[in-house]
Amino acid sequence: MSQKQGSSNKVALRLALVAILTAVTVVFTMIVRIPTTKGYINLGDVAICFTAFTFGPWSAFIAGGLGTALADLLSGYAQWAPISFIVHGVEALVIALLVRSRAGRDSAEAVVPLWRKILAGIAGMAIVAGGYFVGGGALISGFSVAAVEIPANLAQSGIGVVLGLAVSQAVRRAYPPVRSLSW
Amino acid sequence: MTTDTYVAGTGVLYRFDPRAKLLLMVLLCIWFFLPVSLAGAWLVVLGVIAAGVLSVGLRRMFRTFLTILPMLAFMILFIPFNVRSGEPLLVAGPVVLATREGLLQTLRLMSRFVGVTFVCALTIQSTPMGKIMLALRWYGLPYKASLVVSLAFRFIPFIADSFSQIKDSHRLRDPNIDEGKGRKGYRSKLGDMLPTLTSALVVSLRAVPSLAMSLEHRGFGLPGKRTSYHVLETSWRLFTDLFISTMIPVALWFLFAVR
Repeated sequence: MSQKQGSSNKVALRLALVAILTAVTVVFTMIVRIPTTKGYINLGDVAICFTAFTFGPWSAFIAGGLGTALADLLSGYAQWAPISFIVHGVEALVIALLVRSRAGRDSAEAVVPLWRKILAGIAGMAIVAGGYFVGGGALISGFSVAAVEIPANLAQSGIGVVLGLAVSQAVRRAYPPVRSLSW
Repeated sequence: MTTDTYVAGTGVLYRFDPRAKLLLMVLLCIWFFLPVSLAGAWLVVLGVIAAGVLSVGLRRMFRTFLTILPMLAFMILFIPFNVRSGEPLLVAGPVVLATREGLLQTLRLMSRFVGVTFVCALTIQSTPMGKIMLALRWYGLPYKASLVVSLAFRFIPFIADSFSQIKDSHRLRDPNIDEGKGRKGYRSKLGDMLPTLTSALVVSLRAVPSLAMSLEHRGFGLPGKRTSYHVLETSWRLFTDLFISTMIPVALWFLFAVR
């Protein structure tokens, strides 16, 4: 196999992975919904945290940001799509970077201590709550209404971190080839 | 689960070029943040709603309105009480409940929120998703990014379907299935979701290698690829539509700008 074909195979695999993870994020965001003032509470953060804990920062950033933005577009909350893209994309990126071990790309094989994952999850929660407060407050609803949303956003991302962490461990055990897909 | 927000129709909006429509959407969203008069902002909102009713119908517009209704209620409840300065309008004993400035700020934020919501919803509902993708490609969205979105749309129904089937299978394994759903607490419900979510993720991830192989077979990343996107036609009509899209916000600005 030529070097060029080998690199194109890798790109195809990465593209396929990001596309599937984006679709997973859309489905998780749209399938379970509890209405709130901002829109709805959903399991999108579970998919985002799963991606961040299991795969690398770039897959997490694209799939997290794009997946939630597409879900907003499809659910009739198009005005939130740019904010969701940035907030959830950055959330996924930061979590993935924080759990990534010093071994760099071999992070999937390395054992990341639980405290580090929890710390990354808390950082992700802060980004979601802060991001929606600033974005929603400045661009959409005003800060007094955006402040009301903080507890709901914290709860949603908190559930996402806990379930995402559990699902990440379970998927690694149930489908070991997942380790080779990290980038 | 539906992945298409398009509402079939034949109105003026449907004949408008999707590239021009996207431009108009962005410019109108920006317009709502410019220093325009409150009456002007609400007139534009009413205009957008009227265009929506004529294009996608009253029922669709009402459904869009329902999605933002809780947020509007919160805006009415919270914003006036947070603005304490200005001429008092509502007083209970020594406490000023609402001021004229608070009311004006609420109306301003509401006009912006309703306007942006209906402009975005109308664009999405009057343009097929495929055309939006082609319009974004015309604006320079990279090929790989377009492919990710297209593939994601292709896989959303499959993953949603798998998720529902897996959820039903796991539910059938519950020995207390006949006792009703309402008895379990939140923690228990979330715990019950873990096997469903894990199975759904494994099923989804199993599709990655075959999808990558399909892309390779289509010559992805190699010279002489076998697939490419359609290109939207470029004609005088596009020029006219882009001109109209630019002139509408400019004209509205000259009409309603606060000087």
